[in-house]
Amino acid sequence: MRKKSRGEHSASLYVHIPFCSGKCPYCAFYSVRPGKEDVSRYLASLDLEISMLGRSYGTLPEIRTAFIGGGTPTVLDPVQWRNLLSLLESRFRFLHGAEVTVEANPNSIRQEHLDIWRKWRVTRVSVGVQSLNDGDLRALGRPHDSRQSLEAMSAVRNSGFSLSADLLFGLPLQDLRIWSRSLEGVLSAGAEHVSIYQLTLEKGTPWGDFPPEGLAEGYSFYRWAQYFLERRGLRQYEVASFAKPGKWCRHNVSYWQHRDVIGLGPSAWGYLNGVRTRNASNLDEYVSFIGKGDSPVCFSESLKGKDLASEAAILALRTRWGIRFERYRKRFGEEALRGLLEELDGLPPRLFRRNGVSVALSREGMRVGNAIWERLLP
Amino acid sequence: MTVPLERIRNFCIIAHVDHGKSTLADRLLEATSTVSARDMRDQVLDTLELERERGITIKLVPVQMKYRSRDGLDYILNLIDTPGHVDFTYEVSRSLAACEGALLVVDAAQGVEAQTVANAYLAADQGLDIVPVINKIDLPSAQPEQAARELEEVVGVDASHAILASAKEGKGIENILEAVIERISPPKGDPGLPLQALIFDSKYNNFRGVICSIRVTNGIIRTGDMITFMVTQKSFQVEEIGVFCPEMRPIGELGPGEVGYLIANVKTVEEARVGDTVTSQRAPAKSPLPGYRQVKPVVFCGFYPIERDEYPQLRDALEKLQMNDSAIFFEPETSTALGFGFRCGFLGLLHMEIARERLNREFGVDLVSTAPNVVYQVIDTKGSILEAHRPSDFPEVNFIQEVREPFIKITAFVPSEYVGKIMQLCQDRRGVFIGMDYITPLRARLIYELPLAEFIIDFHDRLKSATRGFASIDYEHAGFRPSALVKVDIFIGGEVVDAFCFVCHADRAFHRGQEVVRKLKELIPRQMFEVSLQAAIGKRVIVRQNVKPLRKDVLAKCYGGDITRKRKLLEKQKEGKKRMKQIGKISLPQDAFLAFLKAGDEEEE
Repeated sequence: MRKKSRGEHSASLYVHIPFCSGKCPYCAFYSVRPGKEDVSRYLASLDLEISMLGRSYGTLPEIRTAFIGGGTPTVLDPVQWRNLLSLLESRFRFLHGAEVTVEANPNSIRQEHLDIWRKWRVTRVSVGVQSLNDGDLRALGRPHDSRQSLEAMSAVRNSGFSLSADLLFGLPLQDLRIWSRSLEGVLSAGAEHVSIYQLTLEKGTPWGDFPPEGLAEGYSFYRWAQYFLERRGLRQYEVASFAKPGKWCRHNVSYWQHRDVIGLGPSAWGYLNGVRTRNASNLDEYVSFIGKGDSPVCFSESLKGKDLASEAAILALRTRWGIRFERYRKRFGEEALRGLLEELDGLPPRLFRRNGVSVALSREGMRVGNAIWERLLP
Repeated sequence: MTVPLERIRNFCIIAHVDHGKSTLADRLLEATSTVSARDMRDQVLDTLELERERGITIKLVPVQMKYRSRDGLDYILNLIDTPGHVDFTYEVSRSLAACEGALLVVDAAQGVEAQTVANAYLAADQGLDIVPVINKIDLPSAQPEQAARELEEVVGVDASHAILASAKEGKGIENILEAVIERISPPKGDPGLPLQALIFDSKYNNFRGVICSIRVTNGIIRTGDMITFMVTQKSFQVEEIGVFCPEMRPIGELGPGEVGYLIANVKTVEEARVGDTVTSQRAPAKSPLPGYRQVKPVVFCGFYPIERDEYPQLRDALEKLQMNDSAIFFEPETSTALGFGFRCGFLGLLHMEIARERLNREFGVDLVSTAPNVVYQVIDTKGSILEAHRPSDFPEVNFIQEVREPFIKITAFVPSEYVGKIMQLCQDRRGVFIGMDYITPLRARLIYELPLAEFIIDFHDRLKSATRGFASIDYEHAGFRPSALVKVDIFIGGEVVDAFCFVCHADRAFHRGQEVVRKLKELIPRQMFEVSLQAAIGKRVIVRQNVKPLRKDVLAKCYGGDITRKRKLLEKQKEGKKRMKQIGKISLPQDAFLAFLKAGDEEEE
């Protein structure tokens, strides 16, 4: 349950590191190769952005979870990392036991990174493994091979972090056996949390414009992951996320529960007091807005009424906790709840798990999440 | 200006399709200088665009011609055109009621055909004088003697004075005009009696309101008169009285025996029904003239606008169409698959197709029609009779005691070498053999009774291909008979979809159910879920197939901004799907329905 008093004072924090050493052909995220002065320009602007935020919100909320993602955060060298962390540490108050995740790429992660994180508050490291098959990795244009991934994961575990691994399916020429080996590989490496994503071809990326041949349909891969990971003790707690008991990512859960998230850095998304914002996506723009004392926010939306209720239902259904009727009724009213349940009644019952006080997607329902989402739009 | 009765002739031309009726009418107009050769388009009387295209006459057009006979006197000849297709028998009977005589036209090469007989009988029943005309004598294959013999033997008219003509080459036209004067009786009537005029057609004009074609029997009708329609008991002031020449020409009055039009600010055809009698409000006639028997539609189908919001346009268009064609019946209906539309009744399949095309061309409404069906009589377990105009009118299987379907008696004229094929066709269509005789050693007349439902599917086509177009056919209704009929429900994803349900003979239910399911399986796009397709009689499923689910784009990550991005993407997709019809949890593109119904059409045509 979200307590009002707490909601006002605590939030999640997302920091976007907009740098990569290269561009993957399927990636739609904003990133650049860091130029000479870019990282220091970036850090300086970040500092100013936090100040700006503090001015507009009075006191900054306490941080309950933080996620430093990208881009490729490990592109920053240890010195730059130290600067970043001391900035965050000096400006925010972290709640006791806060969950702090850093994203790492197998090719650029160094022991020094781990040591610095270890000394700060980092609790989780999420490694962008994508696949443990070198054919897959070459096809994806990833700047590392499977050996580097295994080494990186092992280093993360040895440093005492909780390990999460990202894997992609539906890749060109990928088959179930390859997929299963990747799943097996990250578990053996000690991953307690696995996020699986189907390769999506997004417009504006090289693959979105010229799709590669031989893409597999994702369904069977997903189904296998559901079966395999659960058998190995990881529970599916969200459409794309599996974790050992208690190891689910609280930061990500806050997105699905409409909790406050402060987004910092170019192209970072935030969600504060019901307003979702996105910062200017490009480093130069971001730096220049902030340099002029303007807010870097270039998009914002504030869903209300039906739109908000529908989004809340959709996000809640992504998680294994689903929609709690009582809570939903309190937030959006009896009519919204009734409308929602009617809409769900029009779908095959086997897609859902119901227990009288809540409804959630069954395994089968998770597989067709997109279709259900579309149905729930207002 | 009233002409003495003895110098008026009212006549029509009856003929089998393609025997040259329209060309002959054109020649008559030319010969009487009603239409100058310069203005002469081919087939002046076929004014509907569609009629020109299909070469058939649908609407009646009465034309007044002035003719100076060989006896030196001027006559008024009113030619009342008739439609030639069997679906429009009732229109024929309407024209006949306004005439004293008929030209019975037979193709010299083809001889007597099924409709020749049917129409000649209709004319004879009404006591009309019949003038046989053997047309197309210019054809190399013409056999006028043979045609004359058939007229005598089959139709039973005296063909010894049959006029030989070639409308195409203008031969025999004057003989025909003289014969009209000599052999057709002048109308009877008394200008002194109270007004009685028969409305034999009425059509709606956007500018003038309803224009009634009338034939005066007694009394005189003048511009400015107050008149009453005897059946509807509505009164109007006559705005204009005139004749068709063939364009409308106002004249002050019409007397007994005369044919012309009446405009009286009538707003709907319902108020001036075809078959009603016009009388004077001040001195009404005691009784109306004998009207027509009410025609009942026999073939029904649903019309639905392709664009959902064009429903009001479709309704307006149907209302206007009905103003011109009172035989069309329609009532609102809703279909889970097609939305709001109308159940429409027609006299036959051609009538239906013509209505559909007119709606499209003249009223600009894009529509889709469901598979046609006949009217069924369902007797339920309580013994009451229910008329089913559509499959969904059927009660549950266990409440049905008996189902009756309309039968027709068909008469086919066919070269003897094709007799076997026609018999085979009729047997396949659950036909019952009634009789056969040979008109000539080379031509036989076959009589069968068969269910109308079997006839409306594609009988004409099959007949044509089985006999290379050499058979002609006419039918009359033969009442309702009990049949082993079942209603087959089609389910998509567990939901019954009315647009695809049908009624058919129990023996064919499986086959047709399979057919429909197979077609649907091709047309329904793969969904996120497996979609089951079923054909069922009551609770018994007879055909079952599944559309495999589409397993693409299973999921994507969804944090922060992904939420907004993904939502916008899905909203866009959903917008695109608004044009889809929702059946339970399944979105079907409208195109799938259209394709299905069109595929059905192709089989019928």
